[in-house]
Amino acid sequence: MAELEIGRLLRASTTACVVGCRVSQANAPAFGGLVRIPLDDGYGIYGLIYDIRIEDDGLVRQLVTAERIDEDVIQDNRVNRNVPVEVSVLHVGYRQAGQIHHLLPPRPPLSLDAIYICGPKEACAFTEAGRFGYFRHVLRAADLPVGELLAAHIQLLHRYHAERDNCGWSSSAVQELITLMRDDYPTLMTVLGALSDISA
Amino acid sequence: MSNMIFPPILHNNGDQHSGIGYVVGGGLKENLRVRLTVPAQEVQEGSFVIIDSADWRFYGLVTDLQLGATDPRFADEQSETRLPGGLSALLHGQTLYTNLEVMPALMLEIGPEPGSPRYEAWRKAQMGDPQPIPIKTIPAHHAPVRRAEAGDVAEIFGDPKEKGNFIIGHTREQGHPVCLDLERFVQRSAGIFGATGTGKSFLTRILLAGLIHHDHAAVLIFDMHNEYGPDDTASDTNQKVPGLRSKFPGKVRMVGLGRDSTVRGMVPDFQLEIAEKDITPADIEMLTRELNLRETTPTTLSALVHEFGQINWFREFREMRPGATIETEEGKKIPAPDSVEAWAMRAGVNAIAATGLHQKLTRLFNLPYVVDRPAADTTGEIINSLEAGRHVVLSFGQHERDLDYLLVTNLLTRQIRERWEHSTNEFRSGKSSKEPRQLIIAVEEAHKLLNREMAAQTTFSTIAREMRKYYVTLLIIDQRPSQIYDEVMSQLGTRICGWLGDDLDIQAVLSGLAGKDTLRGMLARLQPKEEVLLLGWGVPMPIPVRSRRYNDQFWRDLKGEAFESARKESDIMKELGF
Repeated sequence: MAELEIGRLLRASTTACVVGCRVSQANAPAFGGLVRIPLDDGYGIYGLIYDIRIEDDGLVRQLVTAERIDEDVIQDNRVNRNVPVEVSVLHVGYRQAGQIHHLLPPRPPLSLDAIYICGPKEACAFTEAGRFGYFRHVLRAADLPVGELLAAHIQLLHRYHAERDNCGWSSSAVQELITLMRDDYPTLMTVLGALSDISA
Repeated sequence: MSNMIFPPILHNNGDQHSGIGYVVGGGLKENLRVRLTVPAQEVQEGSFVIIDSADWRFYGLVTDLQLGATDPRFADEQSETRLPGGLSALLHGQTLYTNLEVMPALMLEIGPEPGSPRYEAWRKAQMGDPQPIPIKTIPAHHAPVRRAEAGDVAEIFGDPKEKGNFIIGHTREQGHPVCLDLERFVQRSAGIFGATGTGKSFLTRILLAGLIHHDHAAVLIFDMHNEYGPDDTASDTNQKVPGLRSKFPGKVRMVGLGRDSTVRGMVPDFQLEIAEKDITPADIEMLTRELNLRETTPTTLSALVHEFGQINWFREFREMRPGATIETEEGKKIPAPDSVEAWAMRAGVNAIAATGLHQKLTRLFNLPYVVDRPAADTTGEIINSLEAGRHVVLSFGQHERDLDYLLVTNLLTRQIRERWEHSTNEFRSGKSSKEPRQLIIAVEEAHKLLNREMAAQTTFSTIAREMRKYYVTLLIIDQRPSQIYDEVMSQLGTRICGWLGDDLDIQAVLSGLAGKDTLRGMLARLQPKEEVLLLGWGVPMPIPVRSRRYNDQFWRDLKGEAFESARKESDIMKELGF
């Protein structure tokens, strides 16, 4: 499996972590994509990208007020910037002794641990394990754009699963979402509204 | 492979034998609630369903279908206009649902899975095969619910291939045959009800044909409208309808009322004439309403019997001349000795009451079939035929008035009752070794004989109440069950009911039955034709059925059954070495 590193850990808790990326690395992570943080002894944490943040620094603040900025300057600022691109990741499960669990990891990763994008095979393995237990973590996070996040995730994973002749995955996923959210009409309709935008 | 993430879901109507849902709640009193997992249109009210739960199998009837939603907003909003087809179908599948209300009726212990270690122990503990029993407990949550298959229907209502099980109709959805156990059916009085035009007469013909064919009982049919004995023409289709006489020429005897009577052009096997000596004061009192008799009638009749005796009173009274006078030597007019007035004075009876009664009885005196000396003892012949295992259709021919019907049916039934009571007592006391033959008396327009006023006076109410012990039961055919006396209705074992429009009639048919509130709606929503609800003691559980059609196919099936049983009998004899 070709591993694509997107950055290293800035800070973490049991439920989430923030990864710092260089701009050159920032094209790979996508909103709603799955990442993996391999740790020792076959233990690794899976996460879902729910936010990608680009903070400003002093130089950028000066440059944005300039009348005209050279392309070289823009490129220099992006490539050699001091402040990393921050990718926020929601912990959605972990792997231990070859077994995938849709539970919060026993312990968070440590700073500067490398983070990798999950390829189609790994993403499919994670999302097929169990019965969509990782949706719990997404739905519990009240301050996330849940509808958009799930729509992006399902759109991406539908493509991976369809390539593996598992077209029913997305329907099963949505069915599970409806089951989990049918007592919360406003949220469910928000999620379904977002999903309807990707389903055409 | 579709490029769409949520392609529209095509409804699979599925296999007829698949499950239709699972239990989500309910109880014995309020019925069971079942979440439907197939489209609502696939299940109808009245469906016979099976619920397996642990070691028990439950048999129930769908009595209602209700639409529901996990949140009312899901039902209020037409999300199919907002969401893609596949997505809205997924949403509806999870949030909108149909609940069935299932009335559990019977349960059967089926034991553990055959082949499992527990099964052998359970089997050893059983005394024979377990039988369905009335419902006493309920299935567990999420117990699967499925439609009854032919085997399930046969398990409860009897195997159509077994002798004595007569197919009365078929389940409405799957068309599985539903049988009546004729041996059980004849043990208690029964009723066939339905508004006019609902196929009551055809159903009665079918049932009578079954009873005659299977020979479980002798049948006496009071055929007021000449429908059952002779061949007829259907009023709606104008097609020829074969009568029981022509289909069972060796078994059925058709009796006409009165000398030289014909029934729809057919000459009956013999003609019934009533001897005047057989008419009792009770027979006259029973006609109080019809003849508009006064309250003085019993006194006058009593005086007549006292003076002329039980045998001669009717003839003597008939021969009296009301108002006849003679002139005395003094030229004074006095009642003639053979006048009603003269007799009244002799007997100490009010003369006006006596002449009034005589005048009203003129309708009886003029009946052509009431004669002093009948050409033969036709009443006795009818009774002998019934005892000998024949079946009798008494067709009223031209005499279709209520007076004829009330007089003849009551008089004949009274004599039958006396004979059967006597035979039963002889048999029970050991004086006779011959067990009386079970007899069914089929009575049309039963409310005329069994209404609240008449019920106490006629023999029919006694038969309905008590004669089961004496091997006589009634088959009541009527369109106004509410007019029949409650005490009689409550004694009816099997009730076969077509569509009824009147609430009181529905209430009367369901009186005394468990779950009548649940069944009321089902009865009101039967198809106006060819659908009946089977109820009561004679059937293991209520069930609506599409009744059989009285056509050539019916006769072919019935005669085919005869051929089949004959063949089996010969096979058995061969096996036994004969």
